[in-house]
Amino acid sequence: MTISKKETSILIEIFYSVVFALVFLPYFYENQNKNLILMDGLMDIIIQIVISSVIYFAVCYSILEIVFKRKESRDERDDMIDSKSYKLGYLLYELSLFIIIGYICSQLQNKELLNLTGNHELYNSFQLTDGGIVFLILVLLASISIIKSLYHFYLHRTN
Amino acid sequence: MILKNNLKEVRQKNGLTQEELGNYVGVSRQTIISIERYRYKPTLELAMKIAAKLNTKIEKLFFFE
Repeated sequence: MTISKKETSILIEIFYSVVFALVFLPYFYENQNKNLILMDGLMDIIIQIVISSVIYFAVCYSILEIVFKRKESRDERDDMIDSKSYKLGYLLYELSLFIIIGYICSQLQNKELLNLTGNHELYNSFQLTDGGIVFLILVLLASISIIKSLYHFYLHRTN
Repeated sequence: MILKNNLKEVRQKNGLTQEELGNYVGVSRQTIISIERYRYKPTLELAMKIAAKLNTKIEKLFFFE
C-alpha cells in the first residue's frame, strides 16, 4: 500500500493526537475536582505540551521532507477533500459546544437541587470546578481532532 | 445516471502516463487515478484541459451511463 505525502502528514497528526490523549489527559483527569489555581504542576504540564508538540512536528515534518523529496502540488481534489473534512470538524465543534454548555448547566442545576433538599453536606461537597470543565474540553478537542483526521485520511484513500 | 469516462483508454492511446497527464493539466497523479476510477468528478475547467491535451472532445471523454 503506497501512501502519499499528504496521507503521511495526516497520519502524523492522528498519531500525535492519540499520544497527547494518552500521555497528558490522565493529569487533567486526576485533577478534575480542583480549580486551575490549585493544580500542582499545571505550568510544567503546559510547558511539556508546548515543547513536545513543537519538537514532534518539527522532527516529523523534516523527515517527511527528506523521505518525500518531490514536492506535491495542491489541486482541486485536495481542496474538495479539505472542505469536506473541515465541514465535519466544524459540525463536531458545534456539537461539542452544546455538550459543554449542557454539562455546565446540568452541574449547576444538580447543585441547586441539592440545596433545595437541605442536604448541606452534599451541597458543599458538590463543586463545578475549572478542572472538570478543562478536562471535558480537552477530551472533546482530542476526540474531534482524531475523528476529523481519520475522516480526512479516509477521503484521501477513497476519493 | 452515472458520469463515466474513457480517460484511461484515450490516455494510453496518446502514450501518456497518469503522472505525465497530471503534470500537463496541473493536477496530481492521484487525481488522475481518481477520475479514471470514477471516484472523482473533475471540474469543467479540468475536464476541458484534459480533453484538449488528449486531442479529443470533452463529450467523447466523459459521458453518462
